[in-house]
Amino acid sequence: MKETLLLTKHMRENPEDSHLIDSYEKNGGYETARKTLINGSPENVLEEIKVSNIRGRGGAGFPTGVKWGFLAENEDRYLVINADESEPGTFKDRILLERDPHQLIEGIIITCFAANIENAFIYIRGEYAKPARRVQDAVDQAYQKGYLGKNIFNSEMNLDLVVHLGAGAYICGEETALLNSLEGRRGEPRLKPPYFPAVKGLYMKPTLVNNVETISSVPWIMENTGKEYNKLGVEGSTGTRIFSLSGHVNNPGNYEIEMGSSFGEFVESLGNGIRNNKKVKAYIPGGASAPWFRGDQLDIKMTIDDVANNNSMLGSGAVVMMDEDTNLVNAAKSIVSFFAHESCGQCTPCREGTTWLEMILDRVASGRGRASDIDLLLDVCDNISPGLSWPPKMTTICPLGPSAVSPITSLMNDFREEVESLIPTKVLL
Amino acid sequence: MSESIKINVNGNQIESAPNKLLIEACEDSGIHIPRFCWHKRLDPVGMCRMCLVEIETPRGKMLVPSCTTEVTDEMVVDTESEVVKKAQEGVLEFLLINHPLDCPICDKAGECPLQDQTMAYGPGESRFVEEKRHFEKPISISEIILLDRERCILCARCTRFSDEISGDPLIEFIQRGNKTEVNTFPNEPFKSYFSGNTVQICPVGALTSTSYRFKARPWDLKSVRSTCNGCPVGCSTELNSSQNKMLRILGIDNDSVNQGWLCDKGRYNFEYLNSEFRLKTPLKKLDNEFMETSIKEIYTELSDLISDSNTNINFLIGTNSTNEDYVAFNEFAKNFPSTNQTFYLNDDYLYAGFFEKGINRATIDDLNNSEAIVIWSEDLKENLPVLYLRVRQAVKNGAKLIVFGHSNSTLKDIADFYYSDDIVSENFEIIKDISKLKGIKEHVKDKNVTAIIGKSTPYQLDENLDKLVSYLVENSNSKIMNAFSSGNTFGAINNLDNVKNLRDFTKNVSAENTDLLFVVGSDPIGRSVFSNEIHRIIQDIDNVVCLDLFLHETSELGNYIIPTSSTLGEKEGTFTNIEFRTSRIDKLVPSPGQSLSDWEFISGLSNFCNFNNNIDSLDGLNELAYQDFDDQDSPSFKNLDKPSNFDGIINDYQPNISTELNENLTSKYFVGKKLYGDNITIRYSDSISLLGAKQFIEASESTIEKLNLSSGECTLKQNGHNVSANYVVNNKLADGVIFIPQNRRNFNRFDFSETIEISPNQSKEALNVN
Repeated sequence: MKETLLLTKHMRENPEDSHLIDSYEKNGGYETARKTLINGSPENVLEEIKVSNIRGRGGAGFPTGVKWGFLAENEDRYLVINADESEPGTFKDRILLERDPHQLIEGIIITCFAANIENAFIYIRGEYAKPARRVQDAVDQAYQKGYLGKNIFNSEMNLDLVVHLGAGAYICGEETALLNSLEGRRGEPRLKPPYFPAVKGLYMKPTLVNNVETISSVPWIMENTGKEYNKLGVEGSTGTRIFSLSGHVNNPGNYEIEMGSSFGEFVESLGNGIRNNKKVKAYIPGGASAPWFRGDQLDIKMTIDDVANNNSMLGSGAVVMMDEDTNLVNAAKSIVSFFAHESCGQCTPCREGTTWLEMILDRVASGRGRASDIDLLLDVCDNISPGLSWPPKMTTICPLGPSAVSPITSLMNDFREEVESLIPTKVLL
Repeated sequence: MSESIKINVNGNQIESAPNKLLIEACEDSGIHIPRFCWHKRLDPVGMCRMCLVEIETPRGKMLVPSCTTEVTDEMVVDTESEVVKKAQEGVLEFLLINHPLDCPICDKAGECPLQDQTMAYGPGESRFVEEKRHFEKPISISEIILLDRERCILCARCTRFSDEISGDPLIEFIQRGNKTEVNTFPNEPFKSYFSGNTVQICPVGALTSTSYRFKARPWDLKSVRSTCNGCPVGCSTELNSSQNKMLRILGIDNDSVNQGWLCDKGRYNFEYLNSEFRLKTPLKKLDNEFMETSIKEIYTELSDLISDSNTNINFLIGTNSTNEDYVAFNEFAKNFPSTNQTFYLNDDYLYAGFFEKGINRATIDDLNNSEAIVIWSEDLKENLPVLYLRVRQAVKNGAKLIVFGHSNSTLKDIADFYYSDDIVSENFEIIKDISKLKGIKEHVKDKNVTAIIGKSTPYQLDENLDKLVSYLVENSNSKIMNAFSSGNTFGAINNLDNVKNLRDFTKNVSAENTDLLFVVGSDPIGRSVFSNEIHRIIQDIDNVVCLDLFLHETSELGNYIIPTSSTLGEKEGTFTNIEFRTSRIDKLVPSPGQSLSDWEFISGLSNFCNFNNNIDSLDGLNELAYQDFDDQDSPSFKNLDKPSNFDGIINDYQPNISTELNENLTSKYFVGKKLYGDNITIRYSDSISLLGAKQFIEASESTIEKLNLSSGECTLKQNGHNVSANYVVNNKLADGVIFIPQNRRNFNRFDFSETIEISPNQSKEALNVN
C-alpha cells in the first residue's frame, strides 16, 4: 500500500521551505488561482467541486459542493476556515497549516471567487502557536504580493483574510460555536434551526464554514479537474485523505492515502504494525467521538460509508490503535474526561452528565466501583443520548455530550467483562 | 394574524397562531410543559433541556426543546411519551446532582420551580454519591443582591434579563462546562436599576435580595395585588407580608404596562413602613417642641380656625396620595371660596402639559406600534424606569428612536438620532430648525410617532417644548405622552379642580395671604430646587398642618402633625398612571399607631366642622371620583375588582393644570433627579438607604479638567452653603455642562441661576500641618 500525495506533495518534496511563498510559487503555486480568477467563472468552480464529489474533511463528511450551493443570496457573506483542530488523535490540519499555508490561502482565494465572498477568516485553535505564526506570515506575504486585498491578480476580485486565534476550547470546532467565538461571544453552539451557517452564519449572514483540508484540496481539484479527483478513492469517498495514525503502532504519523483500503492494511503497511507485535484489542476509526471497533474488525474499509455502516464514523480521520495490553476502562475514562473538560456548560445533560460519567468511570477504574455502576453508566448515557443508538439521538444542543457516550457504549457493548472484572464482588455474610 | 393553525398534542387537536413557540402554544391550551430557562419575556435559549418533547418528523420521532421550536401546521407532538418522561427525569436528575439540599434554609423553598418540578417530573431519589460542586456561599454582587452559585442551575434568565431587557449586562457566565458560574466582572458590581427582577425570575434561590433574605417562608405570606405609586408608570405589583409586616414586592405581568418588571426603587422602597421613626401619634408644636396630642384636640383647634370664613387656606399636596384622597381634599376645599380650589402640587417639574383637543394621547403600548419614538423629557431611566424599558423594547422591535437634549443620555447608545449640544442649548432650548434635522425628515415626517414629552429640568421654559410638539402635531401622525414623573400626578390633576406647581407656590403663597396651610405628604424643602423660598414662606405662616409619615425638613415646620397611612400597602384606593390608566391600590398591612389616611383625616375634620361634604366613606369618594363616566368605563372599585380589569381601565380625562409660565427662570447647571435620592422613605429603607446618599456631580472629562479637579472630590460653594461631593466623568454631556442631582442631600439649596464655585478638595496631607 502506498500514499497518494496531492495535498502533502509539496511539503514532502520541499521539507525545508514548503511554507514560504517563493518555494510554493516555484512549484507552480498560485497559478491555479490566477488562471481561475482571470479565465474561469464561479459557476465553473462550483461545477468542478461538485464533480469531484469531495466531502467535508472536518468530520461530518458533508458534500462540499452541496454546502456551497446552500449559500443564501446576499451581499454580505463570509468564508470561515475551521482550523480549530482539537479532536484528540487528529493532527492532520496542523501540517497543512504549518507546512503548506499557501496551498490553503490559494484554496481560500478560489473558494471566495466561486462564492463571491470578500471577507474570509481562518479560525485557528489557540494552542497551534507555530502553525498560526506560519499562516499569519503566509497571509502577510500573500498581501504583499497582491494575492490578497484589492484586485487580486489584477482581477476585479477583492478579498480580505483575517487570521483569528481561539482561546483553547474544543467546542469552538463546532461550527456555530466557532462563529460565536469569532464574533467575540462565548464559544457555545447555537440553537438549530437555522440548521446551516450557509443561511445564517457569522453576524447572521450567509457563511461557508469549511475545514482546512477541504479547502486545501481545492487548488488540486481546479488544477487537475474534478473528474480526475473523482477517479481517486472509491465512490462516496473520493480523493485522498490525510489520516492521523496514533496509538500503539510502530510508525505513527500523518499519511495521505486514497480512501478504500482496510484499516488493517493501513496499519500493517504504513503504520508498520502494532508495537511489540501485539494484537489490536480495539481501535478508534475517526477521532475521540467515534465509537470504537474491535480488534477483529480490522478489515473494515476506510471509507465514510463503510465506517458509518458499521455504526461509527470516519470523522476527522484520526485512527487510534489500542493493543491487547490496554486498560480500556482507563482509555474510556480519559476520553470522557476530555469531553467533560471541554463541555461548554450551556445545556444541562452535557454539563452535568459528562462530569458525572467521568466520576463514575474514575470510581470503576480505580477499583471502587459498585455493582450498580454499569447500569448507572448506561442510564446516564441514555439521558444524554436517548436509545444509545448510532448516529446518536441527543437531549443536548450539539453532539459534544453524545460524544462522551460513544466510548462508554463501545466499552459496554464489546468489553463488558473487562468493566465487570474491575468491580469488587460483594462480600457474602 | 387571525389565521390559526392546528397542531396535534398528545392526540388532541389544538389551535395556535402560526410561528408561536410550541411551549407557548401548549401553555395557551392548558398543556403545561416543564421549563426552567424559558421565560415569556426573554429570548429562548434552549439551555436547560427540561422542555424536551417529541415531534414527528419525516425521519421518525425526534426530541426537541419546545421553547425553541415553532409550531407548524399539522405538527404532531407528544409531551408525555415514555421517551419524553425519561428525558425530563434525566434533566432533573442532572440539575439536582450539584444542587445543594439546603431547601430548609432557602428563601425560595415553597415557591421554587425546581422543587415543584422535581415533585412533578423528577426521579424519586438521587443516584449521585459523589461530592457536590462547591462555591463560596452567597457572595454579594451589589448592595442589594446576593448570589449563591451552588444553587444556580445556569438557566441564563438573569444574564438574559440584564442583556436584553435592561441593557446593562453586568452579570454573566464565566468559566465553562461543569465549572460554569454566573458572576459579575471584577470591580464591577451588579449596579443596575433593575437588578431585583433577576431575583424574581430566578427559578431557584441563587439570587436573593438583602431585604427579604431569611425574613419569611412563602407559605406564610399574605399577598394582595396593587399598583406601585412610585412614579406615574404605575406598575402592577404583588405585595407580600408576614406577621403584618410588608416584606416583599413583586412585579405582576401587566402586558400593557410593566410586563412583570419593576425598577429596584419600586421593589425595595418599602422598608420605611416598618421604621421605628414612623409618626404614630398626632403632634402639636408648643414653644418649638412637639408634644403628643389627640386627633380630637387638633380637630377642635383647627375647626376654630376654619369656622371663620375669612380664614385663608392653602394646600400644598404631595403626589403620594390616592385618587380618593385627592377627591376628599377637593370637596373639602369647596367650603373655602378663598382657595379658588387651587392646589399646589409638590412638583417643580409640573407644567401645563399637552392635553388639548387635537393632541392624541399615547399609551405605553403605542410605543411598540410606532415607526418613531421622540423623547424630550427628564431622564426616563432615572425617573420613569419601566417606561425606559418599554422604550428599549420598542426600539428592539424596530422603532426609530430620536432623543432631544442631554437629559436622556442613557438612551444615547440605542438612539438612532441623539440631538444634544448643537441642537439643544444648555438650558434645553431648541436652537435649530427642527424640520431640517435629518432624522426628523427621514423618520418623523408623515410617520406614526409616539412622543414622550416633559420638562427636562425645572428650568426648561414651556415654550421650547411647545415648539417640538407643534412640529410633531402638524407634521406627523403623532401621539403624545406627558412625562410627569412624580407618583400619582395624573390622579391629582384629574381629581383636583386646579393644580399648580411649586414655582407657583413660591410666587403666590405668603404668610400675608395664608392663615392656614395644609402640607400633605410633601417635603419640598428637602427636594425641590425652590427649597429656600419655600422654607421662608412656610416658616412665616402661623398655622401649618402637616400630614406625613415622618418628620422631615418640611414637616418639622408644621404646627400640627398628623401621622398618615402610607399609600403603599396601608390604604385602599385607586391610582392613575401616565396613560390615564386607573388601577387598584390595595391594603395589606395595618398602619402604625393612630395613623389615618389623608381622606379619613379630612373627612373627620369636615364632620367636626359640620360641613356637609359627603366624603365620609371610601366607596363614596370612589364613586364621586368617577361619577362623570358611564358605569361601564368607570374605574370604580366595582369595575376594577373584575378580573378582566385587573390591569386597569384607561379613561379620557381632561386634567386641570393651570401652572403659570416660567419665564425668567434660568439655570447655569443641568439639574435633574436620580432614581435614588435623599427622600425620606429611601432614608428609612435600610437596604437601599445608602444608594441615594452619595453626593456627586457629573461632567465631561474636559470640563473636569477645566475645573482643575484631580483628587476625586470637590467642594461646591455658594453664599456660605458648602457641599462636598465626588465628581463623575460622563462624556455624554456636552462641554461645559455640569450635572447636579437635585435630590441628593443639600444640592437643592443652591441657587442654580447663580454661579456655584466648584473647587478641588485639598488632599488630607496638605491639611496636615504637623
